[in-house]
Amino acid sequence: MASEIKPIWQRVLNNIGDRFMGWSFEVGGVSLLVWEIMRNTFPPKLDGEETWRNMYKVGVKSFPIVVVTALLVGAIMVIQSGMYIEQYGAYGLLGWGAGYSVFREVGPIMIGLMFSGRVGANNTAELGTMKVTDQIDALRALAIDPVRYLVMPRVFTMIVMMFLLVVVGDFVSLLGGAATSQYLLGVDMTLFAWSVITYVSLADFLHGLYKAVAFGFAIAVISCHFGLNTSGGAVGVGRSVNASVVGSAIAIFILDYLITYLDT
Amino acid sequence: MIEVHNVTKLHFGRPVLKDITLSIPEGSNLGLIGPGGAGKSLLLKIICGLVVPDEGTVTIDGQDVFELDEIEIAKLRFRIGMLFQNYALFDFMNVADNIAFPLRQEGKLGEDEIAAKVQEQLDSVDLPTIGHQFPNELSGGMKKRVSFARAVVPEPPIVFYDDPTAGLDPVTSSKIFLLLKAMRDEKGVTSVTISHDIEGIKDICDNFALLDRGELIFWGSRDEVESTDLSLVRQFWDGFSDDELG
Repeated sequence: MASEIKPIWQRVLNNIGDRFMGWSFEVGGVSLLVWEIMRNTFPPKLDGEETWRNMYKVGVKSFPIVVVTALLVGAIMVIQSGMYIEQYGAYGLLGWGAGYSVFREVGPIMIGLMFSGRVGANNTAELGTMKVTDQIDALRALAIDPVRYLVMPRVFTMIVMMFLLVVVGDFVSLLGGAATSQYLLGVDMTLFAWSVITYVSLADFLHGLYKAVAFGFAIAVISCHFGLNTSGGAVGVGRSVNASVVGSAIAIFILDYLITYLDT
Repeated sequence: MIEVHNVTKLHFGRPVLKDITLSIPEGSNLGLIGPGGAGKSLLLKIICGLVVPDEGTVTIDGQDVFELDEIEIAKLRFRIGMLFQNYALFDFMNVADNIAFPLRQEGKLGEDEIAAKVQEQLDSVDLPTIGHQFPNELSGGMKKRVSFARAVVPEPPIVFYDDPTAGLDPVTSSKIFLLLKAMRDEKGVTSVTISHDIEGIKDICDNFALLDRGELIFWGSRDEVESTDLSLVRQFWDGFSDDELG
């Protein structure tokens, strides 16, 4: 017997309902995971070996790609602003333009997105594979809480490493900017440095670091949530990684908006 | 004593386990048999508290598994060993660390004693020299044996074996069955064994339960299995089918 075709309005409503339920499930799941993380934070419960393993994987291995990204971001910012700087002869503002935008916005955002694509995706794939191969259940069967053993070291590591990578990235960006201003625009590096030191404040630098911490936390929670809720074998792992990268990117921009609004 | 009372589990509203009731006396081994997809592994996960049923209760030594708080459930799980159907070895640890993992978590032994116990287990599963290798370097049969070693290394009084001989050659299978028998006879371990190797489990299990499409079709001793007229039980026990494929 052929199945009855539903009217279009009913299908549209069904679709909206399904999407709403899907989003509610993810938001609820992320909220529950945040609650579990809070419960394990006071007092802190971290597995030392797992934390070091993640520090290396997340921090050390991300270092080269972050340096390259930051170097190019600094250079691009100088090239973009160079056109107007030359037009108005405001060479003393070149360092300020690059430093201000890199510290407050472009540095944390670019490194956050890079971090989400590299570390967050890898984290979701690793936890997702553990989930579909029963390794998470094996931990629970051995009386080990997966949040304490797997999630807490990752959250701690991602916050710390995102913070450190943004610090490093900010200064590498300025180096890239200074080199570009010297060799491409002919603006002396010392003038660039003077402009940064004079016009860019500590608050601008800290503003970016607040964002780094918030982005690190969001990427960690979202990537762990999607990893731990993976089902459906290899296809399911792919789906989770995709959802994790998209979810992290959305979270980065929402948090960026909120922090910019609150700290300006 | 493990008791399962009226356990029902739904998946998207459809029952995948229906009203299962059975008990496993202390020191005995229950053989759980049935066709693939019948719900055997799910029932095992419910019995050890990894999956919460929609209805029913599971009690282990009088404690309701789903009423325990975090500390009590952790204590209970230290008393349970579990061999998973698809090994569930931790990819990021080598074989020795995988086997040592439950002992390190328990925190009762020093590293030297742990190393000795790990080697003892590796010897018992005929893999004495692979401690430094990682799970992705092993064959399916080797993974199964390492998984078995990890499940039994803390000498838990209760062990659940989910298809312990799948993917093993007949010689290794018979060795594993001998180990299972020794666990019951010499150490008094209470266990549940899922297996499709009916000949292998005939001698190591005291009771047998047959699941089909989430329903408990039969549950009884070996004598009761051999005297039953239920066709599905007979087919499984005697290893033939009345129907032709296709």
